[in-house]
Amino acid sequence: MRSKFKYAFVNVKTMKGLFRPKECFRPETVEEAVCLLSKHDGAQAIAGGTDLLINKPPEIEYLVDISRLPLNYIKEEDGLKIGAITPIRELENSQLLSGAYGALSEAARKFGSWAIRNMATVGGNICNAVPSADMPPTLVAMDAKVKLVGAEGTRTILLAEVFVGNRKNSLKKGELLTEIQVPKLPPHTGVAFIKFARTSVDLALVNVAVRITFEGEVMKDVRVVVGGGVGPTLVRSKKAEEILKNQKISEGLLEKAAQVVSEELKPRPTSIRGSGYYKREISKVLLKRAIAQAQASSKGG
Amino acid sequence: MMIKLNVNGIDYEVDVKPHWTLLFVLREKLKLKGVKNGCGEGECGACTVTIDGKAAHSCLILASQAEGKKIMTIEGLAPGGTVHPLQQAFVEYGAIQCGFCTPGMIMTAKALLDENSNPSEEDIREAISGNICRCTGYVKIVKAIQEAAKKMRGA
Repeated sequence: MRSKFKYAFVNVKTMKGLFRPKECFRPETVEEAVCLLSKHDGAQAIAGGTDLLINKPPEIEYLVDISRLPLNYIKEEDGLKIGAITPIRELENSQLLSGAYGALSEAARKFGSWAIRNMATVGGNICNAVPSADMPPTLVAMDAKVKLVGAEGTRTILLAEVFVGNRKNSLKKGELLTEIQVPKLPPHTGVAFIKFARTSVDLALVNVAVRITFEGEVMKDVRVVVGGGVGPTLVRSKKAEEILKNQKISEGLLEKAAQVVSEELKPRPTSIRGSGYYKREISKVLLKRAIAQAQASSKGG
Repeated sequence: MMIKLNVNGIDYEVDVKPHWTLLFVLREKLKLKGVKNGCGEGECGACTVTIDGKAAHSCLILASQAEGKKIMTIEGLAPGGTVHPLQQAFVEYGAIQCGFCTPGMIMTAKALLDENSNPSEEDIREAISGNICRCTGYVKIVKAIQEAAKKMRGA
């Protein structure tokens, strides 16, 4: 307990405290990790470290290193089950992510740089709840769920419900995300992910994930998810989905859906990666491309 | 806390603080100054080492997280007094100017060649996309890696 002063050390430049956790615990089991996370105030899980050690939040008092937990796996079991600390690189190379799941490995390929992909984990990418994260749009488009283990028990929620704001997730204190569950995709389903960024290693300006289940030429089921810096969280455009559902793909229809999507985004008017206007315009183009890609992939797989 | 680190095949016992990164311990405690401290944010790649054979930014991993893993830095690439084919190729092709990015660049290339002994130019550019060089540009670096790959294949 640091009674009088909130922080024992101060960074003179920012006048914020320094990142000085008192202890780093290294649990071997999920139960142990959850116990440590709920027991200590100011405890934070660390896995890949590629976000946490950049931000170095001064409020962290205890680190719980979850990189030794048995949560590094990808298995086919009623769809896909992905362990939370599976590095992005494993998703990129996994044989299981083929066919309609291929969009996930495409998203992994577009993620940061080579070394970052070796370190960063899927669970971390989700829990950080950065709106421009690369893995969530495709996972949300696939209706993925996440398993959260807490001191009071285990719950499974839709991945989309994890994101409540910029860098804010809906996990309760002491809860640990342990698994991502991707349901089986119906036949004739195509998924596409397109990332638009300044350089191959930068965060996205806009990224779009689309999932379409076809019945002949008609789109029976559609998901449209837009990420990137287009709002405090990623945006699932249910309005655009309604427009596309039960329709055949046509120029006019795509134009209408693209317009609706661009209006639903809430990007900041300006940011270093591009203006709000620019991001809206880009999202229209990306949506059309993603739909075409999803259509092609539905035929391939 | 006391941790054991295996760096370049040697076991070290180090007393670390919880927030110390692997980069800090390698440079300041083990005095392996070949590992460079560039941005400290995973953008520049100058601090790249291999951990269990995979390229990783040592500035973004806690020293304690690297316990029990095999860490290799540029110092451990070739036995004393000799140079690795990658190092030789970098010299021959003038892929070095100021040299600050070179250790990270070579460690990334090493991880790539261990995985893929015959990488295409695109594979190489993809692999070194996280390593920034502000002097020479990347043409000579890519050529050097291709040449080293050829030599290591024994061609």
